[in-house]
Amino acid sequence: MCHSMCGMATTVAPQPTLKDDVLAFLQPLRSAIEWTGDLGFFFWRVTKAVFSRPIEWAEFVRQLDAIGARSLTLVSLAGAATGAVLALQMRDSLARFGAKSMLPSVIVFSLIKETGPIITGLVVSGRVGAGIGAELGSMRVTEQIDAMEASAVDPHKYLVATRVLACIAALPLLTIAADFCGVFMGWIACTLVDPVPLRLFLSNGFHGVRFADILPPTFKTAIFGLIIGMVACFQGMRTRGGTEGVGRSATSSVVLSSLFIILADVVLVELIINIF
Amino acid sequence: MSPSFRLGLFLMTTLSLLAACVFLVGREQLKFGSNYRVRSEFDSVSGLNDGADVRVGGIREGTVQSIVLPNRPDGKVTVSMDLSKETQAIVRQDSVASIQSAGLLGDKYVDISFGSVDAGKLKGGEKIASEPPLDVADLFHKANQLLDTGQGVLENIMGATDNLNLITGKINTGHGTIGKLINDSTLYQQASASVTSLHDDADAMKSNFLLRGFFKDRGYANPAEVKEHAVAQLPAQSPTKSFQYDPTKLFDKPDSAKLKNSKSLNVVGQYLQSEKFGLVVITASTGRTGDSVKERVLSEARGFVVRKYLVENYSLDDTRMKTRGLGKSPTAKEAGSIEILVYASAPAVPAKTSAKK
Repeated sequence: MCHSMCGMATTVAPQPTLKDDVLAFLQPLRSAIEWTGDLGFFFWRVTKAVFSRPIEWAEFVRQLDAIGARSLTLVSLAGAATGAVLALQMRDSLARFGAKSMLPSVIVFSLIKETGPIITGLVVSGRVGAGIGAELGSMRVTEQIDAMEASAVDPHKYLVATRVLACIAALPLLTIAADFCGVFMGWIACTLVDPVPLRLFLSNGFHGVRFADILPPTFKTAIFGLIIGMVACFQGMRTRGGTEGVGRSATSSVVLSSLFIILADVVLVELIINIF
Repeated sequence: MSPSFRLGLFLMTTLSLLAACVFLVGREQLKFGSNYRVRSEFDSVSGLNDGADVRVGGIREGTVQSIVLPNRPDGKVTVSMDLSKETQAIVRQDSVASIQSAGLLGDKYVDISFGSVDAGKLKGGEKIASEPPLDVADLFHKANQLLDTGQGVLENIMGATDNLNLITGKINTGHGTIGKLINDSTLYQQASASVTSLHDDADAMKSNFLLRGFFKDRGYANPAEVKEHAVAQLPAQSPTKSFQYDPTKLFDKPDSAKLKNSKSLNVVGQYLQSEKFGLVVITASTGRTGDSVKERVLSEARGFVVRKYLVENYSLDDTRMKTRGLGKSPTAKEAGSIEILVYASAPAVPAKTSAKK
């Protein structure tokens, strides 16, 4: 196991053995392809670890606390701010089209279908991605992971699988929280301008909302969780170059997971619209 | 804050929010309320969607659960709707479902009418009648048809005016019956000739037995002929003999020229037959009253009638017998007079009275 990991690490940062200009030009592309291949191996190893007994429940719950519960405040605030901004912006825009009565519907639909999930994904990828990348990276550079492997503990199972599963489980729950905070703040923002009872706001806002409108967008954030966990753990596990490498891993974890979340969202939205 | 408390709070909060969300949306879809299902079949649902409102009396009381296309070409689109149990008292078996839109181009919803009191209640799963939706597209289609018809009518009218043009053109150029009527003078000439022959017919009618009486009572047939032998004035010399008659005795009525007592004229006839005479002038005048034109005609007619009696009953040279109508004469007696003046020698025959008087 150690041998293959070390081999992988060697191939990821290849020495320029060929002086050919063309190959030098193609070097970034080659790196990207190799990175993708490594991620594939990593994904397969983690998947096997997830489905192998015994399940590390204690570590999973600990990660759920670290990833989910500790992000709740941040995500709620982000959702509430988004709801308030939506309410203020949409009031102006809709009034221009004489559709101000649609304001609750616009806020609710916008939050539950797209804004809530994507805001949650990005906020969590910033907070959790950086945390995981830095934590695993420093464990790698201080050779704690090597020690773990030496004591016959699979780090992919103990460290990576639990974090990935915790991300997958936490994201939809955080999204629900963000949605509700957003709707509530949206109502407050509306009421400050033009008083409306919460009951009426909710019944107007949720009028016409079906399960197909709320459940798929909420649970698609599990995919975001998978992306955050996988990318952050991968970047952390392949950290090289001491303290500086830890910093690089933390940064690249956030950047790459955010990018992949947005890219994946494009595909997921299209998929959800077509399926439901 | 211990990790356990924090995790517990996170899980409880988010899971209860998830549950709240499920119930909020669920109530919206009426999936967890107490409801029953009705079906209705439409030829077209005009863009109705799953999850659309079902309104009873304008109040949202349910949702459209499914819209299923028929599996045969002659089938209909089946719309299944879930309605809340409260509407069971109102929606009966004879309720009618119709697809309406909120606003002209707005969202579609199903409206279910109130049933009648006698009709049975719905238990769920029954089919109720439907009314075809009023689609805006249909509306435009109908408007289009109307416009087409209007255009057809206009084309007909244009055709009619074209025909009218053609007809008036033909009339102008003298084609056809009306054209001839307007443009051809032959017709006028013929009409003129007809009127002339009508005059002849009228003359013939005067001698017809049915109408003869009228002219007979009047004493003469044609107003034109009474002036045939009239003279404007008497000769300068004094007459050799004169006869005086009272018109009231000689004629039937004060306003007629019909002879009543014609035998009294025999004296004049015998005298003229035996004696040679140069000129006879029968001068008639009516009384001082009456319309002057009518009285003149009457006086002329009386003179004519007297002359006619003498000419027809005695062998006399009628070219030397003239009449003279004085008409209404202020100098005459009350009832006018008839005077027959006989001149022995033949003086120059005075000019005929001018026709224009």
